[in-house]
Order: sequence, then C-alpha cells, then structure tokens
Amino acid sequence: MEATFLLTLLITFLASFIGYELISKIPQTLHTPLMSGSNAISGITLIAAIIIYPEVGDSEILKIIILIAVAFATLNIVGGFSVTGRILEMFKKND
Amino acid sequence: MIEIILLVSSILFIFALKLFGRPSTAHRANTFAMLAMALAVFSAFNFDFSKYDSAFYITIVVSGLLGVLISKRVQMTQMPELVGLFNGFGGGASGAIAYVELSGSSLPISVVFVAIFSMGIGMFTFSGSFVAVMKLRGKLNNFNKKLADIFSVFFPIILVIPAVLEMDDLLMEFIILVALIAGVIRVAVIGGADMPVVIAFLNSLSGIAAMSAGFIVNSIILIVAGALVGASGIILTLLMCAAMNRTLRDVLKGGFGTTTINNEYEKDPISTSPEDVAIQLSYAESVVIVPGYGMAVAQAQAAVKELTNTLKDKNIEVKFAIHPVAGRMPGHMNVLLAEVDIDYEDMFTLEDINSEFSSTDVVIVLGANDVVNPLARTDEESPIYGMPILDVDLAKQVIVIKRSMSPGYAGIANPLFINDNAKMLFADAKEGLENIIKSFELV
Repeated sequence: MEATFLLTLLITFLASFIGYELISKIPQTLHTPLMSGSNAISGITLIAAIIIYPEVGDSEILKIIILIAVAFATLNIVGGFSVTGRILEMFKKND
Repeated sequence: MIEIILLVSSILFIFALKLFGRPSTAHRANTFAMLAMALAVFSAFNFDFSKYDSAFYITIVVSGLLGVLISKRVQMTQMPELVGLFNGFGGGASGAIAYVELSGSSLPISVVFVAIFSMGIGMFTFSGSFVAVMKLRGKLNNFNKKLADIFSVFFPIILVIPAVLEMDDLLMEFIILVALIAGVIRVAVIGGADMPVVIAFLNSLSGIAAMSAGFIVNSIILIVAGALVGASGIILTLLMCAAMNRTLRDVLKGGFGTTTINNEYEKDPISTSPEDVAIQLSYAESVVIVPGYGMAVAQAQAAVKELTNTLKDKNIEVKFAIHPVAGRMPGHMNVLLAEVDIDYEDMFTLEDINSEFSSTDVVIVLGANDVVNPLARTDEESPIYGMPILDVDLAKQVIVIKRSMSPGYAGIANPLFINDNAKMLFADAKEGLENIIKSFELV
C-alpha cells in the first residue's frame, strides 16, 4: 500500500515535470488553443465518474450528482477538443 | 490489457504536448490528445458496459452533442468566455465526484483530506469561473473590495464554525457553500483587464481539482492528466503576471485600476484623418500593427486583414506586435488574427519585436493602451512602472486608432498620445480601418 502510494507520487511528479518542460516551449501564438485543449483534458474526471457510478448503490441523489459530473466532463472533453481543433485548423499553413 | 491501453494513452498525451510546440504541427497534437482521451475513457469502463443504466449513456450522448454544438457556434472573440465556462465545468465535475466519494464514507483518512481539498478547489473554480464569465460579458462591475477583505479576514473563523457547532451531518455541504462564496467574492473584485491571469489561474485550479480526484479513485491517468492541466495553467498564470510586472497575489487582491490617477494631458494631441493616414502609410516601407482588446470589441479583424493585404500589395512590410496580456486571455489576439488568415509568422512577441521599433516607419496602435504606455519605463510613481511594454514610441510615426482620450485599465494618462511623433485617429477600430482602406483607393 505504502509502496504503491509512493510510486503514484513519483509518477505524478515525473509527469508534471515533463508537462512543465513541454508546455513551457509552446509559443504565445498557441496559448488560447492550449487553454481550450487543457479544458478538454480536465474533462478526464469523466473517468472518476465511470469508476464510481456502479458503486454508489441505490442512492438516487448521489447518482444524479454523478450524472451532473458526467455532463460537465463530457461537455469539456467534446467541446474542448472540437473548439481546439477549429482553432488549430486556422494555424495550419495555407500551402 | 487495461494497463497496456492506459500506457498507450499516456504516451499519446506526452506526444500531443510535444507536437503542440509548433503551430504547423499543433493540429495533429489535437488528434493525438483526442485518441489518448478516448482510450483512457474506454479503459475506465473495464470492458463491463452492462453496469451502467441508460441514464448514464444518455447523459454522455446529450452533453457530447451539446459540446459539439457550442464549439461550432462560438465566435473567436468569445473564446475567453468559453474557456472560462469550461474551467467552471471542469472544477464542478471534480468537486461533485469528491462530494459523492465523501458521502460514501468508506475512504481511508488520508484520502478524505485529498477529497475535501478536491471538493473545495472544484467548487471554488466552479463559482469563480461563472463570475469571470459574467465579468467578461460586462454583466458585472467591480465588486466592493471592502466586502471581500472582510470575508478574507473572517475566512478562517468561518471554517471553524462547523467544528464548534458540531454540525457533522452538514459538514460537506458547509464546505461546499464556503468554497462557492469564496470563488464568487475572490473573482468579483478583480477587474476585467486582469482576466487573462484569472482565467489561466482558474484553468490551473480545474486541473488540480481533477488531479486530486484521481487520488480519490486511484487512477494514475487521471492524476497525470490533471497534473498536466494544472502545470499548463500555472505556466500561463506566471507568464501573464510577469507581463504585467505584478505578482499573482497582487492580481488576486483585486481593485487594480479602480482609482483614476493623473489623468490630465499637458497639451492637446494631434488628430489626423483617414486620408492623411493612408498617405502616410503609402510612403512607409515597414508597418507594425499593435492590436489590443479594442480590436476584439469592435470586431475589426477582417478590416485588419484587408489593410494588411492593401499594404502588402504595395510591397510594404507588415508585422504584428502582440503583448502577452493584450485581450482577455493568453493568445487571444493571435487567434483573432489567425481567424482572418494572417500568417502566424507575421505575429511577433514583445521580446522579438521591441528592438525593431526604432527602425519602423509607421506603427498603428489599434485599441491597445496600457501595453504601449511609456510611463512604464519612466515614471516610478505610476502603477504600471516596470511592466514590459511595446516600445512603439521609438518608431518614426505612431498612429493611434482610438475612440477618445480615455485612459486604459490602469486609469492613467498615456503620454504616447501627445508624443511629437504620434497622431490620433479618433474612431472605433473597425470604422477607422475601413475609412483608411477607402482612402487608399483615392490616393
């Protein structure tokens, strides 16, 4: 249990480090699509909703709250990627 | 099998970030990230799709369709609002997950703290983002700063109330309420032009909330993706703060620019006409355009493109100088210009173009103000002193297209407007440019 937790922390640290390094190199021109893309990725909370939904049992209220989370997260994922794609198309070179 | 899918997903996410580093490859980054996300979500079902009722799938399909609809309809000038809205959704989703897990009450004590953290940050992001969106739409004026200060002082006391009253049953609801109020008050005191910082900061918080939700359900991919969003938001937040020479703490304290200091001009500015501007431009060899929030408000992008084409047809070099905090979010101006097919290679950052102004024939300042105010270099008393600015006053000629002499967000006069090499074209950004273009046809 302890070892797994430490491993998780290590992975988190490494991922944040790689992320920090790569994101720092993204030019100012792309900062708006970077943010809308981050929006899409923050929708990954959908995973948590998928994991806990079958576990809440019969509580209707908790189910509804999870469904609200599902709606928010899905909106972020789909809307975020779609609008980011739209913006990045504009930056493609018109050859 | 699930582990392999997640591994592939993580690798795709990292590749996506790498590809995002260049405008020419960035559209592929989006495809990679979408694929990574699809794999991650698919793996969470653990090949057992029967455990979910129709309400679950219907919610996914309906909100997915809504997402597509919103993203197709939104105008590029509204991107700050859309990102603000999505920040709120992200925070709200993570906060809701944390609440459900806390209500289940079978969590180990270390995870309980992470969950409370996730819930608090998530709800703060949720309410703060909606206030930010309202501010961006101009629906909310600056909130009374005193009220916020009082709230901040009493904040620790409010947090102890449930312990004192032994209200164990409603503890979660109480924390949610406090977080929601804190979000509203904190963002409400911050002025509109500080929104680039606020939006980037809330973006980061939505990632941090997701990351902590990952610790609750023990999903490494969720932790990692959340951490990436958190890191990206922090990077942008710090960049924006540096571009204004202010600390994050100072920005979040709010109240900037609410007092008008020294708003007097020693002499009248020289005003000019579209015809004169057209003549001046036709004798120039190099032109730099400095867009600001005024360009977005006036929806002047198409006119900018038309003027650029007119000038390029006459073999005049045209460049764009974009200050990091121009507009209402990081990169806002770049997206508006890209939308009208202006080449990103013609868009320059402050560091790249500042040395070129002294050899530029004409600079057109379009709806920007504080980011070209020379007081930032010279006046130690000024609230913007030390802020890196675009040194347009060093150019041979400066044309400022602006509706009036009113001060910018910082509430101070801009001596650039009465500089000997500067002329004012009093007009709305779009109308001003269109008149210049029309005059070109007569020259």
